[in-house]
Amino acid sequence: MAAAKSPAPLRILTAVPVCDGHDSAVTTINIELARHGIEVIYLGYHQSASAIVRAAIQEDVNVVGLSSYNGGHIVFFKEVVDQLKKSGNGDIPVFGGGGGTITQADERVMKRQGTDRIYFAGTPLADMMAEIKRAYARAAKPNAKFKGDRALARAITMAEGGTRPPGAFARSASGTPRSTKKTFVVGVAGPGGAGKSTLIDELTSRFLKNCPGGRIALLANDPSHPDSHGAILGDRVSAIYAQDDRVFFRSLATRGSLTGLSAAAPAAIEILQASGEFDLILVESVGVGQESDPFGIFGGRKLVDATLFVLAPHYGGLIQLQKIALLNGADLVALNKCDHPMAHTAKAEIQARLNQNGKGQILHATTAAKHFDPGVDALFAAIAKLGGLDTVRGGEKACWMASPDA
Amino acid sequence: MSQLGKIADSIDAYNAHVAAEVKRARTEAKFAAELRAKWAHLRASVEMTKSPAGTPLPRLALPDTDEPGAIAEYLLSQGFPGQFPYATAAYREMYLDKDTGTGEEPMRLFAGLGLAEDTNARFKYLNTHQKSLRLSTAFDGPTLYGLDSDHEGLLGKVGEGGVAIDTVEDMGRLFAGFDLTRPDASVSMTMNAPAPVILAMFIAAAKKRFGPDCIGNLRGTIQADMLKEVQAQNEVIFPVDASLRFLCDMIEWCVPNMPRWYPVSISGYHIAEAGATPVQQAAFTLSNGFTYAELLKARGVDVNAFGPRLSFFLDCGLDIEYLVLGRVCRRIWAIGMRDVFGANTKAQILKLHTQTSGRSLIAAEFQNNLTRTAAELMLAYMNYTNSCHSNSADEPFTTPTEKYALLASHGQSILLEESGLFKHTMNLFGGAPGLLMLERQVEKAILDVFREMDTLGGVIAAMEQRYQRSKIQESGHRIETQIYSGERPIIGLNKYISHEPMPSVPLARTSPKKQRLQVERLKAFKKKHAKKAPDALQRLENVARSGDNVFGELVNTVEVCSLGQITACLTGVVGKFRPMV
Repeated sequence: MAAAKSPAPLRILTAVPVCDGHDSAVTTINIELARHGIEVIYLGYHQSASAIVRAAIQEDVNVVGLSSYNGGHIVFFKEVVDQLKKSGNGDIPVFGGGGGTITQADERVMKRQGTDRIYFAGTPLADMMAEIKRAYARAAKPNAKFKGDRALARAITMAEGGTRPPGAFARSASGTPRSTKKTFVVGVAGPGGAGKSTLIDELTSRFLKNCPGGRIALLANDPSHPDSHGAILGDRVSAIYAQDDRVFFRSLATRGSLTGLSAAAPAAIEILQASGEFDLILVESVGVGQESDPFGIFGGRKLVDATLFVLAPHYGGLIQLQKIALLNGADLVALNKCDHPMAHTAKAEIQARLNQNGKGQILHATTAAKHFDPGVDALFAAIAKLGGLDTVRGGEKACWMASPDA
Repeated sequence: MSQLGKIADSIDAYNAHVAAEVKRARTEAKFAAELRAKWAHLRASVEMTKSPAGTPLPRLALPDTDEPGAIAEYLLSQGFPGQFPYATAAYREMYLDKDTGTGEEPMRLFAGLGLAEDTNARFKYLNTHQKSLRLSTAFDGPTLYGLDSDHEGLLGKVGEGGVAIDTVEDMGRLFAGFDLTRPDASVSMTMNAPAPVILAMFIAAAKKRFGPDCIGNLRGTIQADMLKEVQAQNEVIFPVDASLRFLCDMIEWCVPNMPRWYPVSISGYHIAEAGATPVQQAAFTLSNGFTYAELLKARGVDVNAFGPRLSFFLDCGLDIEYLVLGRVCRRIWAIGMRDVFGANTKAQILKLHTQTSGRSLIAAEFQNNLTRTAAELMLAYMNYTNSCHSNSADEPFTTPTEKYALLASHGQSILLEESGLFKHTMNLFGGAPGLLMLERQVEKAILDVFREMDTLGGVIAAMEQRYQRSKIQESGHRIETQIYSGERPIIGLNKYISHEPMPSVPLARTSPKKQRLQVERLKAFKKKHAKKAPDALQRLENVARSGDNVFGELVNTVEVCSLGQITACLTGVVGKFRPMV
């Protein structure tokens, strides 16, 4: 077992309750938390209690922070606390704030119903940060009582802390024996701003629609701040289809790793594979440069079964295109943002670049920001075919076939 | 392609034109003589009045000059009130005392709490002291997000922060007892993503009460500003293109059918509340307005038909820029609409609603909020806002309770009716050196933002790149750090703190019993229309898929379907909005 380095950063899930779009306060607090070395998993505004609880479990956070500004907080906080308890995750405390809308009388009721603490208007940010760090920092330990997604999530947390999961540990993580089911792992890389997160979310929607009963896992790697070591992990905000119990979503901060992935990503992939829960795992790297090879496809230890390289039309012309190493090794290449005026030229240039490789690589043209984009349908079908997703649920019809109305 | 660069250039060109005309007035005798004659005529048109203390006063203050350059400068750069470029005011007399009593009352008090009948009762209370009928509606969270009150996990939110409206029957209850066809009636609805559904319910409920021909007489405003929702307020249901399509469908339907209705209120309020500086508020709001103008023009709607139906809504806080924000916005809008969009006089006028800043109100020693709101009201009226809402001092804690809502309304009456500042003489302040200096600075800063957004490809392209959201978040974070560092003094919070315990303030909250009643009503409605609803939704879906005007169909759909049913149907066609951080 690797020796523990400096204590692992605190992980906090922040969100704004359902039917509330007031995100000014939570945005400021997210920035402050990250500045104080905390990893903030931000879920967004207008979030239901069940979505908050699901995210808290999968992210295995130290605590949940809720910012509520348009009323109904007594009922809502109680609902979150109750759902955490009911699902066996009552160890995750909940704190919150709402300026003046949560009164001191409300606080007494809310505390009695299980909310850990309320911050009132005028609390200095520095005091709040110090108290959060003091109150919620604790080392993650394996916990045999954790079930399902929480057990997986805790195993990943342990890996993030430097503990490699021994085989047996990974096997017992979800409480189920190592499955013989094949899990197809796809690494998704591409320059920042190419729309990887949106594309992954759209692929998730295709999975949910075309593979009924199956589960998908998403590992989103995002950079830590080099000085504070904190991070704002905001991929969940835009991941509208991840709010489903069939999706396991985990945000990983890179914590100083410069490979494009968290150092714990290989272990996390192993844990998810070993659980036998998932048909498909998509691993998103941080935005990559021309030489990057986050998934070790050029001679390193290959972490994934296939690689999807995503780029957008503004890659900077033919010469720049020549330099991108991953275009040689990627199994799948997608040109996203095809509604961009440059897309037509880009398509021709990239396909020509792929033809040079002589590997029969086909360019997928997608516009992930557009709902129901046929380009995304085709890309998903290609992934499903490549991964043999049609055979995993023995006997059922080929699940990658697009449904008639798609 | 973006017109923002062109619009910024048109303002600069107009300013250069003014400078050239001022020079010409000073060098060309014939032009000077024309200006003097016009000036003499204008001066002669100003009537006299008297203060209660007996001082004779003109009903309009004009610069005391006969110098042709100064006359040209005033007339062209500021404009006689009600004249291009409208820096002074949209109309000539605004809040002046009128013997006939037919003047437009600017006060609109926003209200919404509990169920429809509770808000209806609050409307009755607030209208006790108003000559004209003013019904300005705040909706609860589920309604704002297009969800039904029986949606899973929402019960605690029903009737909180605004009124719960699920069906056309709720809409009927909301306005029961008010004659909405009165010429002096004005209804406003702070409603955005589901605005087309809610306006359709309003129309359907009105038709039931006042007959099918009442639509043309209905007067009021629905906010429906989806661009600012994406940029700041976050109440978005459908993807951006679909949201804009449904909005433009509604506007296009309203322009010929509801000549007295404002189908959009282009709002900076929420942009400022989310943290934007006054300049950012103005720049984003105006550029959103110009974007709607572009979208409607691209659909083939005549700028002179839709132009007069656009209205605006700004926040007014205590920062110094607010002293001139309305004036500067009216001027930029008028020049841009005239010189870039070719709009006629009526389509050039920016009609402005103002609300005092909610963000400026704080919980600590909350009675200071009365003073904050009063000062903000003063700034709002100095900008000659066409209508105004004043916040209640208890808003840091609660939906306004009766007591503080009434004090907020009296604040406006004290300024407009009790004080002599606005009722005897128009334009007491305009043209002061400080105001002119600020106007120039603020205008320049707004045009800089226009040009930056133009390089990003315009408002919608900038929005996709998170430009407005980043700017707003950055400013919001700066305000908070300035408050915590003491650089921004907030009395009672970081300066002159009394350390008194937080007072116990009465709260306006909705009881679980009422929330359950709303759900029962909704269930009864759904049961009653269970047979007809599927067909109505199918017709709506067909129209939405065909690309035809959805609003025309919604007016029928709402007769038998609830808000949540309609939202689900439309989401099935166009998909869901993907939020941005």
